[in-house]
Amino acid sequence: MAKQGSGSILQFAPLQSSVDEGFWHRLSSLKLNKFGIDDSPIPISGFYAPCSHPQVSNHLTLLAESLPSDSNDESTMPPVIRGNRNRCSVPGILYNTNTMEGFHALYKQGLLKAEAMKIWEDIHSGKAVEDCAVLSRVLLISFADLKKWNFHYWFAFPALALDPSATLVDLRPASQWFTLEEAESVSAACNEWRNSSVTADVPFFLVSIDSDSHAAVKHLKDLEACQRDGQKLLFAFYDPCHLPNNPGWPLRNFLALISARWNLKTVRFLCYRENRGFADLNLSLVGEALITVQQGWREQQCVPNAVGWELNKGRKVPRCINLAKSMDPTRLAISAADLNLKLMRWRALPSLNLEILFSLKCLLLGAGTLGCQVARMLMAWGVRKITLLDNGRVAMSNPLRQSLYTLDDCLNGGDFKATAAVRSLQRIFPAVEAEGIVMAIPMPGHPVSSQEEKSVLEDCKRLNDLIDSHDVIFLLTDTRESRWLPTLLFANSNKITITAALGFDSFLVMRHGPGPFNSIPNLKAETENSLAAGMDNLALTNTDGQHRLGCYFCNDVVAPTDSTSNRTLDQQCTVTRPGLAPIASALAVELLVGILHHPNGIFAEAEIANSSSGGNFELPLGILPHQIRGSLPHFQQMTLLGHSSNSCTACCSTVVSEYRKRGMQFILQAINHPTYLEDVTGLTELMRSANSFQLDWDDDIEVADDECVEL
Amino acid sequence: MERLHATFSGANFTFKPRTKITLLVRSLFHVKANLTQAVPAGNLPFTRFVEDFRIGAFAFAQKWESCNLAFPPWSWLPCPKHPWLAPPEEEGYLSLEKICISRPNEEEDIDQISQIDTGEEETCCSRNEDVLDDATLVQSNHHELHYCDFHIVYGSTFRVPVLYFCAYCSDGRPLPLDEIEKELPACASKELSKKWTFITQEEHPCLKRPWYKLHPCGTAEWMKLLFLSDTANPKFEVVLELYLLSWFSVVGQVFGLRISLKISN
Repeated sequence: MAKQGSGSILQFAPLQSSVDEGFWHRLSSLKLNKFGIDDSPIPISGFYAPCSHPQVSNHLTLLAESLPSDSNDESTMPPVIRGNRNRCSVPGILYNTNTMEGFHALYKQGLLKAEAMKIWEDIHSGKAVEDCAVLSRVLLISFADLKKWNFHYWFAFPALALDPSATLVDLRPASQWFTLEEAESVSAACNEWRNSSVTADVPFFLVSIDSDSHAAVKHLKDLEACQRDGQKLLFAFYDPCHLPNNPGWPLRNFLALISARWNLKTVRFLCYRENRGFADLNLSLVGEALITVQQGWREQQCVPNAVGWELNKGRKVPRCINLAKSMDPTRLAISAADLNLKLMRWRALPSLNLEILFSLKCLLLGAGTLGCQVARMLMAWGVRKITLLDNGRVAMSNPLRQSLYTLDDCLNGGDFKATAAVRSLQRIFPAVEAEGIVMAIPMPGHPVSSQEEKSVLEDCKRLNDLIDSHDVIFLLTDTRESRWLPTLLFANSNKITITAALGFDSFLVMRHGPGPFNSIPNLKAETENSLAAGMDNLALTNTDGQHRLGCYFCNDVVAPTDSTSNRTLDQQCTVTRPGLAPIASALAVELLVGILHHPNGIFAEAEIANSSSGGNFELPLGILPHQIRGSLPHFQQMTLLGHSSNSCTACCSTVVSEYRKRGMQFILQAINHPTYLEDVTGLTELMRSANSFQLDWDDDIEVADDECVEL
Repeated sequence: MERLHATFSGANFTFKPRTKITLLVRSLFHVKANLTQAVPAGNLPFTRFVEDFRIGAFAFAQKWESCNLAFPPWSWLPCPKHPWLAPPEEEGYLSLEKICISRPNEEEDIDQISQIDTGEEETCCSRNEDVLDDATLVQSNHHELHYCDFHIVYGSTFRVPVLYFCAYCSDGRPLPLDEIEKELPACASKELSKKWTFITQEEHPCLKRPWYKLHPCGTAEWMKLLFLSDTANPKFEVVLELYLLSWFSVVGQVFGLRISLKISN
């Protein structure tokens, strides 16, 4: 360890700042709750301690406690900080501006001089000798951007510059300067000083050694007494710096004090440093400085120059820190939601694929009782991209059953459901990417006039585009016929389609099988990656329709027609037991998650729940049924399987290929001519041949779906 | 340059768990609760009083200080519910601060995460302003060090101790979890501890801002197993004392904080 060359300028290692996150939290709280736009300077306290590690300097730290309390019951008193051995308190001041311009416009040199002036005055008044903690001060300027949670700041540690600077005569480890006996005694005396709660945080002191090598630690105010005794005398201070060739910053003002007050020219000093809580005389330094200030420097009215702005990686620029992650409520909500799902994965479901849920794009047709609940459940599973389509407005009776709406949405004729739902979702979870589309779904059996034709075609196209841009579709509308076109479009593109339908006290939740034009491939992870895109690669062969799972219309023997007019009054009035919608919606979403985790995805075969399966499932989420039908009067639920029908009006190969051939013209024809679909699929023929038999209908034959009056 | 975490790796590691934890991992779900009267539940002995936790905490801190010279001692900090009232003595937590967790020779590409390049020119400090003088040492860039603070808090939901932690650079800038995880010791016990522990983020009960913590929902389970094999019927006071030590011997491994177990006797 070489000593600094004698005769060279004594160079001090600058203090380094460290700001605990709690400081910024408290500052934000004070700004928001107490100070508002008042930008008067705020008294603060910094903390430092002697160096405790041979390779790392200690920093001057600001904590939450450095600021006045942000509780409403306290006045803005400067914090009364009683230090301890690890926290020597440094008085200071904070100038926090309200704008970035204000921050840059602060006259920094003026502020620095003002703080230096305080030290200079304390030196001359004697206060610095009585309470030496005031020899160090901290000045902080900042701008807290509480929208983006950026904190711009700049520290200064005011130091009075000697003019000319002091020169270094000698500097070496303390263990090399003291004799062994002295060293032992000095260590003991310092440790005692550090262990006493009265003196532990007094950072400047005297070490005097008598002729018996016995050392004593004294307060600064005992200087005259020590000088009289003619003993070896060192000016000691807690040195946060660890460097072997330089003393720390606090020595600067100490030397200023020594020169100004006691007019000493040669100063022997001790940089006190520790290791593991005890004095370390190998790390500590003893040096000798020569002060040769100009005439007049010591005069009180002649305030010395001040230096001390902290460099930011060698540059004279402020620092900036962003705390959005821990302060921005939206970011906190996102991270809490993520962690919640990951916790579930860790605790119960290691194969949970969160990535697929986060990236999934879901389209909900219908924003009513089913749509609202499905949207909420999807968000609970981590789905973030949700589109709701509905052309209705929120009615006064809706908020009770449709869980995204409140009374406010009903006023003034009622907001559009799609937009109100999106608003509501964003209030629940700001990071959701929700979109609302106000649109009616073209329906067969509801013929359109030629003037309307153009807009209907546009709607069809728009629906098609929506389906293309989403991965999953939920059919949650209130009529059977409105489900027809989406079913066909999805059967054409093989996306995951889930239907939920309600009766008065029964429900149906089902997943549509794949469309007719893809063979069942050996899928591995492919399904999970590209839910639809990969399908283009597969051969367009007609598969054996019997193995395909059916869609919502596969069991119908009549085409979807206008179900809303010409019905009896009790059929028109669509009511359901309130408990049904939440049950059905929840099952629909859980079914979706099951599909997403099945290696075959949309092509997965159906499983039926039975008691023999017990608790052991092949897949962690359990079985993946095709249809779930539930009945509230029985509190029962059944899982069913229905294969696709070759005459299905929505998904049979005839219909889909007609659509592929003729596109919108085919759609229009189906919309305008009620019997067209039945003719095309051969249902007409089927009915004719069935009617030609003289048969009594067996009471057991069920035409299941006619019972359902959907809401 | 001396390796900074020599203190870390050089700490006396003589800890042998009472039962082999590897065995426990496999047998966790098959263990029947054939428990002795001594410790009926894995979250004893803190099921009754917050006071119990404090007693246990003090005992733990004492043992730690006497046997663990590599680390500074734990201190007990009161948890002020109302800052202007003196908090009841019992409510508080153990704190161990500024533990260096980074490896010494990392080239740190700092400040891409939270420090923003404000693009500010040096002209914001005019030429007349003295930032440096000849008595100021200009230091070359030393590399960033990362530190961690640990708090042991009593979690009343699961009635077990919970380890909260946060990490930061030397200038106080907080470190996100993925950065912290890079620093954690890559060793076999880390994989093991991943089965037992899950890192999540939650508001610190005393400091009221987000800290990371090891989720406590599994604690009672594996603490039960740690105590299961103790055939002797220990006294309540002994259990109190040893509870935190045993608990920390597991959770501490996530961070490579090991304790020498001359303590256990």
